[in-house]
Amino acid sequence: MRNHDAGVNAILEGLRAGRISRRQAFKTLAALGVGSALLPSLTRIALADDALVGPGGIPLARPDKPVTLPLWEDPIKSGLAPETDGTFTIYNYSDYIDKKLVDEFGKLHKVKTQITTFDSMDQCITRLATHAVRADVTNITPDRLAQAVAGKLIKPVNPDYVPNLKKNVWPTLHSPFYDQGSRYTVPYTVYTTGIGWRNDKVKEDIPNLSNPWSIFWNSQAYKGFVGVLDDSREALVLAMLYRGKYDINTEDPAEIDAALADLKALIPICNPKVNITEYQTLPEGTCYLHHCWSGDLLGGVFSYMPEGTDPAVLSYWSAPKGKGPIQNDCWAISASTKKPVLAHLWLDYIVDNTVATDNFLNFNGYQPPMNSITPEKLIAEGRIPANLKTAVMTAEDFGGDAIQEMTLTPKGQALWQSAYAKFVSGA
Amino acid sequence: MREHSGIYPRGLWPAFALPGVVWLILLFLVPFYAVIGVAFGGVDPIFMIPMPAWNPLEWNFDSMIQTLRGFLPGGDYWAVFIRTTVYVGLALSICLLVGYPVAYYISRHTRRTKSVLLALLVLPFWVSYLMRMLAWVNLFAPSGYVNEFLAWSHIMPDPPDWLNGNPISVILALVYGYIPYLILPLLAALDRIDKSLLEAARDLGANPFSAFLHVTLPLSMTGILGASVIIALPMFGDYYTPNIISGSPTTSMLGNQIDLYFHGGPQPSIGASLTMILALFLAVLMTYYMYSVAKATREVRDE
Repeated sequence: MRNHDAGVNAILEGLRAGRISRRQAFKTLAALGVGSALLPSLTRIALADDALVGPGGIPLARPDKPVTLPLWEDPIKSGLAPETDGTFTIYNYSDYIDKKLVDEFGKLHKVKTQITTFDSMDQCITRLATHAVRADVTNITPDRLAQAVAGKLIKPVNPDYVPNLKKNVWPTLHSPFYDQGSRYTVPYTVYTTGIGWRNDKVKEDIPNLSNPWSIFWNSQAYKGFVGVLDDSREALVLAMLYRGKYDINTEDPAEIDAALADLKALIPICNPKVNITEYQTLPEGTCYLHHCWSGDLLGGVFSYMPEGTDPAVLSYWSAPKGKGPIQNDCWAISASTKKPVLAHLWLDYIVDNTVATDNFLNFNGYQPPMNSITPEKLIAEGRIPANLKTAVMTAEDFGGDAIQEMTLTPKGQALWQSAYAKFVSGA
Repeated sequence: MREHSGIYPRGLWPAFALPGVVWLILLFLVPFYAVIGVAFGGVDPIFMIPMPAWNPLEWNFDSMIQTLRGFLPGGDYWAVFIRTTVYVGLALSICLLVGYPVAYYISRHTRRTKSVLLALLVLPFWVSYLMRMLAWVNLFAPSGYVNEFLAWSHIMPDPPDWLNGNPISVILALVYGYIPYLILPLLAALDRIDKSLLEAARDLGANPFSAFLHVTLPLSMTGILGASVIIALPMFGDYYTPNIISGSPTTSMLGNQIDLYFHGGPQPSIGASLTMILALFLAVLMTYYMYSVAKATREVRDE
């Protein structure tokens, strides 16, 4: 038995040291008849090699490393009647859901509705964690899911109540990498991070530059009219993409420092404004070139274009799949809900074709991942100008080879935050 | 014989101070101790929210030491600290240059006119600080009224870009935002000056300028110091003025760094440490003010 243990330990040691592969280890252990017994140990070691672990020991999800979130309680049973009376509380960013649609949901189910807002995902999580807000449903981003599940802030979903997910939403988001099997979420909006600019001010042909991201480092002519997103991840990622670094969830201090150096180099070149007001400043023409979210550009065209200004003055470029950040927001059921059935119906409501399209085109400009929405159709119907086709995503933009800013370890988060603080201090 | 031993019950006068003391404890001392707890505490491993350390024996000094290192020349906060100090120093000087004559002017009027002038002075308070700053954005935009006037009048045919990282705009916005807070206490100090002292100076042959220099100015010095402290303290922690007026890293102030670390992420203790260091720095100004007031009071009593 001792020899047997020594053999097993040698295999595990070899696996840890990288002398043998996981497959070889499994084969050898199976031959020894202990493979299944040691599976948890093997998984831990494999995770140590392949993936970082986040809050509550949940592996950090990456597009090429899907994660099935653990269920901390069973979902509600199927076929229950929705709750009536009282107030149904929707927790969301401000101006991110059309109140008219929320009211219609309330009328449909005979409940009062209330939208409670947060300014940032940090604030959202903090208020839910401290029970400062008791919501029924909450908006959430994929990078905060592990936190919310580990902290039991959101409830598991029973898919029986959400048929619209499979019926209407892009197949690539039926079982997203951050929430395999859609155990906790349904997707809400999708967007890319790219470059927005005014055609009447910027002379360069940005999409045809050998490195379109380099426009920011060659924007002396637009000094004072250039903007970078005020977001610690997005700003540093901009600099990484400029250098062709696509591991945008890196925790390597050297990579982060290099990105910081590039970002700081922008200051004497174009003195960028660091803000997230491009949805307004680009249409108004007070900014010529801005690091930009696609949804803000579309929202700008829908809501902020001065009367008489042709939306064709605006352009947007996003990198091909795997070369530029994509992101999506989700809805989840808050653990504090007293109306779990109604909360499930909300998740279904939000991916209803009419509701989702109405919210996108008549309210916030952020695209829902619906099969019924295609760039070609939107242009043909005159809903968006042809030059902004690039701001509309397709199902193919998601998948294992896409890149998405995701959860970091606390140490990684601190590295990114400190680097960003140095940039915005102008030191 | 004690003053309160007469018709009023014992303890009545100290009781009047009670609401203020409770206010001070609840809204200053407790929150400030919370900041100390966060600075020397940790973060929740799941939610990354602050876990204050209330017991001094459990304090962790790592963040404070790291932050203090940042204030050394060449450190992470050195440049932003110097920038903040220069901006506040210049804004304060301009406030005094503009505000003192205004306060002096108002103090010289009769009660009725003074009331009207005071009402005009506090009129901007009816509009929120944020709205007043946003109004500046419209005024100083590249095609705003200021630039249109400068170009039209040929004072500056090619007007500068005021809102894109221009430190002058940030300093002027600070002056605009805080100057009423300087004038009001200054006015109170100038009002208290006994006019007969000025008459005595004139009787002794002093001309108006000399009377101002040797009587009014020294007697208003405590008011100048008090008013300066009142506006310098919030200016040091201001972050929305540079955000709205500039938004550029080249004009960011220490308050912006505090805001960043408190806004989210795994290092709220750095934000709390920055707040404490700023508070200690401002305590030096406050101590000097209190020392000056005490000294002036002592001198008056001794005369």
